[in-house]
Parts: sequence; C-alpha cells; structure tokens
Amino acid sequence: MGIGLKVRRLALLAGMAVCASGLSAAEAAEKHKIFLSMSYIGNDWQAEAANMVKAMAAHKSLADKVDLQVQVAGPNAQRQIQQINAMVQSGAEAIVVYPISPTALNQVVKNACDKGVKVFAYDAEITEPCAYNVHIDQLEAGRVTAEWLVKKLNGKGNIIAITGVPGTSVDDQRTKAAKEVFAKYPDIKIVGEAVGMWSQAVARTELSKILATRSWNDINGLWMQVGCFTANSMQLEAGKKASELLPCAGEGSNGGRIQMLPASTEVEGAAPPYAPAGAQRISYASPPYSGALALKLAVEAIEGKDVPKTTILPLPVVTNETIKLCDEGTWAEMKAGCNVFKPSLVSNPGWFASIFSDQTPEIGLNAALVGQPEN
Amino acid sequence: MSSAAVPSPVSAGFGLRRALMRHRGALIAAAVLAILLFIVDWISAGPLTYFDVSFLSSGGATSALAAVGQTIVILSGGFDLSAGAVISLVNVVLASSMDPMAPGASILLWTAVGIGVGMAVGAFNGFFIAVLRMQPIVVTLSTMFILQGVTLLVMDKPGGFVSPDLGTFYLGDAITGWLPMPLVVIGVVLLAWFWLKGTRFGTALYAVGSDPDSAAAVGINVVLVRFAVYVIAGGCYGLAGVFISAQTGSADPLVGNPLLLSMFAAVVVGGTRLGGGQGGPVGTVFGAYILMMVVNILLVLNVSAYYSTIAEGTILVLAALAGSLSHASVLAVQLRAARARLAAWRAGILPSQLEPIDRRLKLTGPSQGQRGPASPRPAFRLRNAETLRYALPAYVCLLIIVIVTQVWLGHAILNPGYWNSLLVLSSFLAVLALGQGTVILTGGLDLSVPWTIGISGIILAGMVNGSDAALLYALPVVLVMACAVGFANGFGIAYLGISPIVMTLATNGILQGFALVYSQGTPAGFSSPMLRWFMTARLGFVTPVVLLMVVFVAGAVLLLGRTPFGRRVYGIGNGLRAARLSGIGVERTLILVYMLSAVCAAVVGIMLTGFSGQASLGMGDDYLLPSIAVVVVGGALITGGRGHYLGMLGGVLLLTALQMLLAGTTLPYATRAILYGLVVLSAVMALRERRLQ
Repeated sequence: MGIGLKVRRLALLAGMAVCASGLSAAEAAEKHKIFLSMSYIGNDWQAEAANMVKAMAAHKSLADKVDLQVQVAGPNAQRQIQQINAMVQSGAEAIVVYPISPTALNQVVKNACDKGVKVFAYDAEITEPCAYNVHIDQLEAGRVTAEWLVKKLNGKGNIIAITGVPGTSVDDQRTKAAKEVFAKYPDIKIVGEAVGMWSQAVARTELSKILATRSWNDINGLWMQVGCFTANSMQLEAGKKASELLPCAGEGSNGGRIQMLPASTEVEGAAPPYAPAGAQRISYASPPYSGALALKLAVEAIEGKDVPKTTILPLPVVTNETIKLCDEGTWAEMKAGCNVFKPSLVSNPGWFASIFSDQTPEIGLNAALVGQPEN
Repeated sequence: MSSAAVPSPVSAGFGLRRALMRHRGALIAAAVLAILLFIVDWISAGPLTYFDVSFLSSGGATSALAAVGQTIVILSGGFDLSAGAVISLVNVVLASSMDPMAPGASILLWTAVGIGVGMAVGAFNGFFIAVLRMQPIVVTLSTMFILQGVTLLVMDKPGGFVSPDLGTFYLGDAITGWLPMPLVVIGVVLLAWFWLKGTRFGTALYAVGSDPDSAAAVGINVVLVRFAVYVIAGGCYGLAGVFISAQTGSADPLVGNPLLLSMFAAVVVGGTRLGGGQGGPVGTVFGAYILMMVVNILLVLNVSAYYSTIAEGTILVLAALAGSLSHASVLAVQLRAARARLAAWRAGILPSQLEPIDRRLKLTGPSQGQRGPASPRPAFRLRNAETLRYALPAYVCLLIIVIVTQVWLGHAILNPGYWNSLLVLSSFLAVLALGQGTVILTGGLDLSVPWTIGISGIILAGMVNGSDAALLYALPVVLVMACAVGFANGFGIAYLGISPIVMTLATNGILQGFALVYSQGTPAGFSSPMLRWFMTARLGFVTPVVLLMVVFVAGAVLLLGRTPFGRRVYGIGNGLRAARLSGIGVERTLILVYMLSAVCAAVVGIMLTGFSGQASLGMGDDYLLPSIAVVVVGGALITGGRGHYLGMLGGVLLLTALQMLLAGTTLPYATRAILYGLVVLSAVMALRERRLQ
C-alpha cells in the first residue's frame, strides 16, 4: 500500500501541511518508495550525508523514480529497530540506513530482506549477510594514517592519540590498526591518549587536559580521528609559528585542509586559525557521500541490476603534496583534483571536505551544503 | 495516598470515583495510548493487523520493562541513573558467554543470568543508598560510569552471539495469532508487581516514598525496603537486557545508554510522581508505549527529520498536560486564582488597589540590628557548620587528586599552567553549576541544558561570524533568547504544573529541532577574535576567563546567600507549602530560577564557542550529567533546600581535576570510566547522612 493513499487521505481529511510534497497518488505509484533511516543528526557529518542523499534523490536522473522519506532514529538502536519495522510495514522497496549498531539491527534487517526490501547501510556496517554495505575500510584508514605519521617522525618520537567513540566498531578498527603500526616501532611512544568522540570541541577539551601536565615541546606528533584543525589552532595560540606545527594525521575537515595549504596562499574568506598555515598533515575521511551512493545503488538494485553486497569505497587521502583549492566546488572541478573549499563558501571549518566520488557525478559542493544536485 | 488511608463510610459510587481518581494517571495514559493507536490505524493504509500489534508490542517492551523498574525506584522516593548501563552490561554478558557452536540455549538459564546480573548491580546501588544513606542520584551516576567501563572490558565493540532460541521465545507468540509474547512478559512482571503491592512490603514501599520519617516511626524497616527496591529494579533492567539481547541476537556495548532519559519520560507520562509515593508501573507501561508510538506516527505523517524532536517534545508536554487535567491540577488552581484576582480587581479590593498603610504587626523586643551583649555572634565555624560539613569533602578530595597528579604525572602543583587549565576547564561547569544548582535547590531539575548551550553557541557563531563588533548585538540577542527559554520552562512548571523533568526534557527536544532548522544541519560562522582571546589567550599565567570566574563566583555566592531571591529559593526547596504561606511568590521565583539556569547555559554556549572557535550541534551533550553531578558532589540535596554554591564549585574543581589526571595517563578508556565512578562514589561517601532523621 503506497504512501500516496495515506497522503491523499490526510489531505482530504485534515488538509495538513504534510502533503506539501504535492505528490498525486498516480505519480507516487510509479515511484520507488525508499526510506532513509538516519542516526543522530546532531553533528556535521550526519547532516552533510543527509543533504547529499536528498540531493541525489532530487537529481534529474532519479527524481522521477524515487519517492524518498527521511526519518531520524537518534542515538537509540531500539528506536531504529522500531523505525525500520514501521518502514517495512508502510511498503518500502528499499531502506537506506545509517546503522546505529552493526549488530543490533540484524534481526529486523533480516525480516525486511525476507519481505523483499533491499536494505543498504552506509558508512557503518550491518553484519547481517542479506544487507548491502557501502563504506570505507576502517582498518586501512588506521593503518595508512599511522604509517604516514611514523614516516614523518622517522620512526621516533612521542605522540598523542585522540580516538573516536569507545565501543563502536569503527573506532575499534581504526585504533587497533594504528596501534599495530606504532607497535612495530619501539621508539614511537604514545604518551597521551584520550577519547575524542569524533568532535572538534571534545578534542580541544581533551587536549587541554593532557597539556595541563605536559608541554607541546614534549610532543612530536599527533594521531587523531578528529581534531587536527583544533590541535593546530591550539599550537598557534600557544605561540608556535606556522612552520613549527607538529605533524598531524587526522580527519578530512575543511578547516584542517585549508591549514594544509602553503602559508602564502591567498584564500577568500580565510581568517586565522581557519587559514592556510602549511601544516604537515595527512587528511583522511569516512566520506559523507556514501549515503548518496547507497541510494543510487538501491535504485539500481530495485531495477534488477546486479549490485555487490559490499562496496568498499576508496579511502580518500589528502597530503600536503596533493592538496588543491577548489574554485566553485562542482563535481567536474573535483574530478580534476581539487579537494578543499574556500572559507567564503564553507564557513564552518568542521565541515567534512571529502565529498568527491567518481561514482556520483550527480552531486557536488552544493549537494553537501544545501542539498542541491548538480545539473 | 493519605486520603485513602482515612477510613470513612462511603457509598459504592463514591468508592468507584475514588478508585478512578487514584488510578487517574494510569487511566489517562491508557486513554492516550488508545487514541494514538486509533490515529495510527486511521492514517495508515490498512487496518491494524495482529502482525502490527505484535511488532509494536516487541518494539516497546525493552523500555517498558526497564521503566517498570525505574517506576518502583521512583515510588520509593529514589532515582536510578544506572538503568541504561545495566541493560548494556546484561547484553554483552549474555552475548559473550553464549557459545555460537551450540546454538541451543536454555531460556530459563540465560534469563536468570540476566536478571541476576541486574539484581547484583541493584544490590550494589542499594548498599550505598540504603545502608550507607547516600544520595541515589550520585550513587547511581557513579554506578553508571563503573558499569560502562565494565561493559567495555567485557566487550569493546559490537558483536557476540545470542542464541536465536531466545529470540524465538521472547518475540514469538504466546497464543498464535492472538497474543504476542512480549505482552505476556510484561503481563507477568505486572502481575508480580500486583502481588508485591498487596504484601506488607508493597505498603511499606509507598509509605517510604511518601514520607520516610513517618514510615520509620510506624516501625517500617526503611533501610531494608530501600535496599530491596534497588534489587528488584535491577532485576527489571536485567530482564530488559535479556529482552533486547533476544531482539537483536547480538550485543552492542552502547545499546542501553540512550534508553535512560526516555525511561524517565515514560514514568512521568504514565502518571507516576517524581519524588515518590504516587503512581505505579501499569501507567508506566502505557507511557513507554505512548513514547514508542510517536515514532510510528512521525513516520506515517512523514514529518521532516529536523522537526521530529520538536514534534516529540510537543507530544510529551501535551501528554503530561492531559495527565494533569483535573479540578485539583496546578493549571486549574491557577485559572481559578486568576479569575478570583480579576473579580477582586473589578471590585477594587486587590491589595495593590487598597490604600497603602502599614499593616505590619507591632512586635516588641530587640530588632535584628541591635544584638545585645547577652547573645554574641557565634564563631564562624559554628555558624557555618552545616555548609562546611557538606562543602569540605569536595575540597579535601580535590587536594588528594592534585597530590596524586603531582606524584603520578609531575608538573602539577608548582606548574601555573596546570592551575590555569584547571580553572579554564572548570569555568564551564562552574557557570552551569549556578543555574542547575539553583534549580536543584528548589527541588527541580533542568534537562534542557544541553541544547540551550547548543542553540546559544550556534546562534552566536552565526551572527558574529568572526566580527568583534557583531558581539555587541549578538550577545544580548542570545541572552534574551535564553531568558525566553527559561521563561517557557518556568511557566510550564509553575503555572501549568508540568513536572520539571518532563518540561525541560521537552524543551530540550524542541530546542534541538530549532537548532537543526536554524543551522540546516551545519552550523555556520565562527567565533570572533576577541571571544577567542577571552577563552584561550594568556595574560601572564592566566587566561582572561579566569578573572571573570572570580567575579562570577563572588556574585553567585552573594546571589544565593545574601539576597531575598536566594532566601526564596531555599524557602521553596525546604517546603513549597510553607514557602507559599510565608508570602513567597512561588511562581515568580520558579520562573526566575529557570531563567537563571537558561542564561547560565547560554553563557556556557558562548564560552564554548569562544573556546572551540566554532559552534557545533551537540556541543552541550556532554554537560548534562556532569552539571547535576557537581551540584550533588558539592553537598547539595537533590530534593532541594540544602547546598551552597562554594560546595558546588568544589565539586566542579574536583571532577575537572580528576578528568585531567585520567587524561594524563595512558590507561584504557574502560579503566578510566571505572576509576572516575569509584572516585565520585568515595567523594560523596563523606557526605552521607550520619543518622536517619
């Protein structure tokens, strides 16, 4: 039974604003009904991913085929279970989901699969075999960044590690892989370790606590899942020169990438610390386009194309050698190799800049910012 | 409850009415649930089938079972923050001990294991709360941290295996096509409750919750009742943990944490009064299902994701209002009072309309200013004995922590940078402690702190956008907005009679929605140079904000200790009725208290924006539980009326120093969480009541 009927009934009975989507029942009947079940929307990454999914659904190649409805489960796995159940009940053909837990959803996902619903998980993983997964290799992310840092330090030095949310698979895999690398070099010492919750604000608080009993001069490098932008800002505040910034392996926030540009670069809208500083960095990310790609694959799967159960996305890595400023941020421009955006376009330095994928020409900077697809 | 205890000859009809009144909370919750079910049925495509009912019943079962446990604790006058952590712990214990190679599992055995784990935790809580007479909120908060650590030690990432037999049993049908098993499980728990309620223990439970002193006076063993309450509640959380294990077939160490706040909402929506003595688990079960149905309604109505928390908050308030519609409700009383005032105004007999003459009684005797030599001022130590007794432990523990930091990490006592960091990092909680502390002194609780912080930071950063000049108008705008938020909270609590927890929880959700809509998901803008300087620069050895903190602390101490406002706050906390009868404008004071709390939260949002250089969604999430913890660690009584700001400040410094110590070590996170919980627990040990009064 379609949402069209529901919407029509509502429109007839209550005249509620809900039907602003303006679907007629006939139109909706031809569209594929797809739900997006998001987790917590209280952070930049989630909001950006949601914008990109919406942009993908609005792109002209999909707009006539897809009827997308977005729901938020919050941080509560129990609620997401309930939500997915309700989506199956209301006739979903596919459900794109940011899984709050890789395991807790297994039963409800299996139940959905049994009813013929395609379930696509993005960014994180659902371990139930019938689900489709679209994500990066988190072990690779931990390994590559740790190896870069070791190389920068010539295998010797004191480092600080800021991890993600404890108890999640993503954090566990990244941290484990990185520590395995560090363990191979006995002269690399982790002198401080804190839980950063994948938040710039938490990274600052935790670094402040660590630095209360330590000085920047005792530290040679930083390995962080999120927080290099903040760490660089703190070093500048503490009186370090831009050329003395410690090497930092970390996230793909736009602020961090702007800091990677050579200090002499002229950038529109830049103001310290959100300004070029020539910081030594490797910047990686779990790219926020994964949800949009999952939606695209879901439509292909509904249309009967063969879609692999697991899509491992290439790890987006940017170093000082490959950093390049975008002018407008169109997909074509990013395809030509640019990977950081002007502060005048992206005013939030915590915003995630890894939005380019070969497979998603439908979406560019405007998709991530305001949910507008490319032409 | 008191009216029920008075024997009087009543007619059958009156008895029925009284029975209805007594179960009003549960009945209204049931009615609301029925209406919601009807709405879902009406707006969804087909009629509700058995399958729908079956999956709805399993969807709400975990929170319903856990909330039943919480209800029993609340009935006894307690509070349990460890409930969510117990669910996670049981989940990982079951999933890590079942053998995937032997998929068959004894349902009875594993259910017993789950309930057993929960009861063991309950006994731990019960020991500290009942036997050592410590405050429930801080004991269970410590337990929560300890359990989170233990859970991560058992299993540091999602995984494990729970036998499908459990799922087949708990999610299956009791009578195929007629009765889903989750409802039977809840039914069994409720039947056990009815049996318990009929025993002497049940009576004792309500008596202790209504008035522990009277209960002790009539010979009830209060210690034993309280201890048993936490053990029973632990068993309920354990069963909820078993249920979620069966439902998910695996484990996730974070699964239980988010269930905590909605559990309190379920209890209150179900008609149980926070503070004890009134209500019961039946209403709670309806409450839990009401909250769950909201998910379905939002889905069917296709409410945009950004508005969903607004919708939920509104529903929460409406449900609470519906639950309080009666002749005796606060709202009705206020309306009658307003009508009376209007009539008086028409007749020209309002006090303000009368001739201003001095009607005070002429009392003879020495007035306050002329203290004779016969009554000398007692020594400072004696005058402030109570304050000292409750505030000192935090400072003593702080001293110990600082010494440990010096010994373990070095660079502490003689390092000015250490003290500066301690004060800067403490400044956020120190400001929050004034707001939350004042609310707690009146016997309330402000759960809207996280998103008041969040939305203030986001609006400020968006308006300022790096310009110092813009601070001139951005700061007033944010503070005025905070006043409005606090006013809404206070109005709902004082005039509409909504419980503080529900009102502020709803406000929090609504503010979250506003923040998302305002920022479209990504907060724009960043802090201005001056604000960043204020929070991060160094003038010699101190950051400018530290100087402000000195002024703030002095102001806070004066506000609570030396002004009429402060005395009214303590008056309300010590006894609402007495305060009202002594002429305190309770409503006005309450509104001011919540406005103060919101303004403090907004100031923290501004400070955090300066500190981080930008605002982010969810930036206030980490400050809710600590803001309550520091107030209690600082010697305040969670039920109101007792506490001193300097004590709370000691709590702030203690917890911050402890976190700094732990952050300086390379201990694993799980161990740190356990240590944190243990230190908080031992810090408040010194605060416990020496004897039962």
